[in-house]
This record gives sequence, C-alpha cells and structure tokens, in this order.
Amino acid sequence: MFEAWKKHLKRGGGKKEEILAPVEGLAVPLSEVKDPAFSQEILGKGMAIIPSKGRIVAPVSGVLSVMFETMHAVSITADNGAEVMIHVGLDTVQLKGEGFQSFKKQGERVKEGELLLKFDLEGIKAKGYDLVTPVIILNTMEYPNMKSHVGKQIMELEPIIEL
Amino acid sequence: MKEYRYVVDDPMGLHARPASVIFIEAGKYMCSIEADWNLQKADCKSLLAIMGLGAKKGDEVIFRFEGEDEDAAYYAIRSVLDKK
Repeated sequence: MFEAWKKHLKRGGGKKEEILAPVEGLAVPLSEVKDPAFSQEILGKGMAIIPSKGRIVAPVSGVLSVMFETMHAVSITADNGAEVMIHVGLDTVQLKGEGFQSFKKQGERVKEGELLLKFDLEGIKAKGYDLVTPVIILNTMEYPNMKSHVGKQIMELEPIIEL
Repeated sequence: MKEYRYVVDDPMGLHARPASVIFIEAGKYMCSIEADWNLQKADCKSLLAIMGLGAKKGDEVIFRFEGEDEDAAYYAIRSVLDKK
C-alpha cells in the first residue's frame, strides 16, 4: 500500500504521463497484430504502429534497458518507471540483425526523440516480414488506467499511450 | 533453495518469445525465481529483466528458486524450458 503510494508520488501523483510514437505510421490496436504474444497481451498492453518510415526514436527519456543483438527490438525504462518495449515487425529476430542499424547501446541513457534504430523498411517487407511494430508497456500491472490512441495516421513523437 | 542450470538452446538467445514463456510461468509462483548469467541477476517475474540478461545460445543460465513453493516452481520452469 505504502509502496504503491510512493510510486504514485514518484510518477507525479495523478498527472497523466504520455508515451510518444517511436515511429511514423498507422496506429492500430494490438488485437490486430498477427502474433498471439502481442494480440493476447502476453507481453503487456499497448498498441502497434504499421511503420511508414524506417526509423525508431526514443518514445520517452530514460535508460535503454534492452537492445537485442539482433536489433529487432529495444526496451526503454522511462525515468518515471514505465518499461516500454518496441518490437520492430513480427518474427524479425530471424533476420539476425540484417537490415537493422543501431545508434545506442544497452545501458545508455536516451532522451525522448533520440534515434535508436534504422531499418530497411522495403527490404525487410520484400523478404515477406510483417513490419507491424508493437509498442508494449511491459509492467502493465502498474498502469491499470492505461489508454492508447489508435485508428489514425501518426507522426513521430505524437502521444500514443497515456499511463 | 533449488537450482537449475539451463543451457540456452534458442539460436537467437533469450529474446522476447522465450523470455515471455519464462516470465508467464514464473508469475504463477510465490517463491523468488532468479536467473543468473555472466554476473548479472534477473528477477524472472520481470520480462524486461530476463530479456536484459542478453543470454545467447550456448550460455549457461542458472535459475534459483527460493520460497515455500520452490519445488513446484522448479519443475514448472524446467518443463517449459526443456519443452522448447
């Protein structure tokens, strides 16, 4: 109880927090992602973006807590405690990093809007991969009132999730 | 305390999918479940922590179970890891 209250205060007490779009594209609900790990919210709640540009920027300021060697997914632990995972495409782990380029290392501090990854949108698509990019809050349990903005075209750094 | 030594066999290491399998199973038990690799420790009840380990194919990860239901958790985690 006390811990929950402290967390609440740390998050600025009741103030809405926003997660910004890490990539430009079409915002869709997770239920439309053709991978049950995402559509059934096994990894957490969130939304997805069908990218129209091959670059991923930091959706919040914090620490780059995961940068997979294969560069197909990253996760940022925001200064407010939210764990945001960005998974570029489905089954793209199989590309073993081909078509991806990273600009930050695991453990580094990142600022909102800083470039994290570039990827070859057309090349990866041509290989038959679905590039839909889920943006997931891994510690979903801490955010029972989370809301996502989907069903529209979004620009980089437009608010997509309210915690 | 129980311990299980697991050699990662997924060619891509502990990426999102295998990590989520461990995370989901770990969440069903009360005992603490920790994965150690390369001087790092991950709480298996945090998906982020498991993925952050960065364990790759062939790496030996030591799972440690401590608490009342550690036996049940040990067998459950073993069975999901060995199934893969």
